[in-house]
Amino acid sequence: MSTSALARPRTARQKERRRHLLIYLGIIPFVVIAVFPIYWMAITAFKQDPDLYRMTNIPFWFNLPPTLEHFKTLFYHTNYGAWIINTMTISVWVAVITLLTAVPAGYALARLRLPGAENTGIGIFMSYLVPPIILFIPLSRVVASLGLQDSWWALVVVYPTFTIPFGTWLMMGFFKTVPMEMEEAARVDGCGFLGAFLRVVLPVSVPGVLTAVIFAFTLSMQDFLYGLAFVAPGDQKPVPVGVPTELIRGDVYYWGSLMGAALLVGLPVAILYNFFLDRFIQGITGGVGK
Amino acid sequence: MTSSFQAGDPDTKAVRVAVSLPAIARSGGWLRTQSARRLGFGYALLAPAALYVALLVAVPFLFSLYLAVSDADVGEQVAGFVGLENFKAALEMDSFWIALRNSVVFFVVAAVLKSILGTSLAFLLLQNFRGKKLVRALVVIPFTLPVAISVLGWKWMYDSQFSVFNWVLSRMGLIGAYGTDAWPVWLGDPRLALIACILVNVWRTFPFSAIVLLAGFTSVPTEVLDAAKVDGCTFLQRFRHVVAPMIFPILMVGFLFDTVFTLSDLSVVYILTQGGPGNATQILPVLAYQIGIQAGNLGRGAAVALFLVPLLAPAMFIFLRNLKRREY
Repeated sequence: MSTSALARPRTARQKERRRHLLIYLGIIPFVVIAVFPIYWMAITAFKQDPDLYRMTNIPFWFNLPPTLEHFKTLFYHTNYGAWIINTMTISVWVAVITLLTAVPAGYALARLRLPGAENTGIGIFMSYLVPPIILFIPLSRVVASLGLQDSWWALVVVYPTFTIPFGTWLMMGFFKTVPMEMEEAARVDGCGFLGAFLRVVLPVSVPGVLTAVIFAFTLSMQDFLYGLAFVAPGDQKPVPVGVPTELIRGDVYYWGSLMGAALLVGLPVAILYNFFLDRFIQGITGGVGK
Repeated sequence: MTSSFQAGDPDTKAVRVAVSLPAIARSGGWLRTQSARRLGFGYALLAPAALYVALLVAVPFLFSLYLAVSDADVGEQVAGFVGLENFKAALEMDSFWIALRNSVVFFVVAAVLKSILGTSLAFLLLQNFRGKKLVRALVVIPFTLPVAISVLGWKWMYDSQFSVFNWVLSRMGLIGAYGTDAWPVWLGDPRLALIACILVNVWRTFPFSAIVLLAGFTSVPTEVLDAAKVDGCTFLQRFRHVVAPMIFPILMVGFLFDTVFTLSDLSVVYILTQGGPGNATQILPVLAYQIGIQAGNLGRGAAVALFLVPLLAPAMFIFLRNLKRREY
């Protein structure tokens, strides 16, 4: 009797250990598949050229000391610095436009009992699903008629076509979670509609608004087509467009600089997006603001 | 605050004095102006977003329909009506049919692979284990990294000479020496290039499939499952009658998003191969870009892009039906 009582916890622990082992065995291939390309890009960025282009070495670690040469090339001999500034400026403008339009729209659709609000919301969200590949040709005409071709301002105008729909949808979901009584109390206390929105609802919705800003930024970074189609001059491009189009010239590849340029901007964006991924999924699957 | 909103103040005070509900109902005029004001305020808040979307999504979409039936050109400002000429011309191009076939193959193969990978990953992430948060954060990186940037990494991994895959394969003795036919040139060999592009899409989006699936599973409340268990449902019954109907809508939305983004994405193929070698990886988005922007034939480019609509329409329809059914 006593022996079995002693044995039981051990087998339970063993079972648990075996379960973990099985799970790790299953999950490790996925982690390797997901992370290896990033690791490969990172190590490439710090390898010396002779180390990169020699087939006899084991390529998974440094055979020669690491170098910052590729980054020097990037900043001194290419427009990379300008692209980073372009990317930042574009993102700030897109975020501002998105905030000023999507937050009020989301509030109106979620809270003000407008007739047809639900269909309007769905309509706006559906426009998120009209792919850029269908819109870029007509939009090229719009961009040209605004005189914005060949400048990153074209992207400031165009990116909100997907950040506004997504932002509006996100904010709709968010505002629905704010208790109705808060506004009612504010109204009874003598606030107007605008006052109730600005002074009562908005302050408690800061996390939602921040999320919308983050998405304005990360979704803009996912674009390639618009930047490729609308911005030709080398110094006007944002990073995700400039790197693949300007740093690859003919058949000569500067892989070290290329990978450095890609990761230096891509990784921070990926990490930022990572934190908000659940919100993205909730946003598109409709269970917003749960 | 503007004066029009402040004008409401005396009324609100009056209501606070005569607080009973019938009193509010009797003052119908006050209610009417209140609701008119609410609507006015609401539409004012909605207008900027609605206008932006209407002017830069809806109008351009209609404009692309117009372009597709015109002979619009980058150089020429005045476009003439040519009827279905652009569509006909597209249908007569060999590269169009290749692109259409490749787009369908790309989508189907990618969908199968990412559902297998995504489902397995989702089931693993459903378990509780140590380090789960870290694992989750790592496996979703492919999806969160900007497309153009990760595709560049793959271009380097597919390098004709210094491909890391080839290094491993040749060390394992599975492929021949560099320069011989037994050395795979991933992006230069017409037989390999399309699958190489598909693999990049699968790598990028399988975490998305997994996370959507996971969101579906976790949306099923455990009380409901317990109730079904108490009522004597077997595991299969619970899955079929409780879990499946509850996660189905979420899966459909995930499927729709993936369909739209996979079919309409140009960046993977454009950066890796530009549709080559020959037309081996030509897909509709790349073809539309090459004709519409690079060759400057706006009308024909718009027509090619519009061929994506029938491919996307079923997914859109399912999505819309789903949203309508959902209560929120």
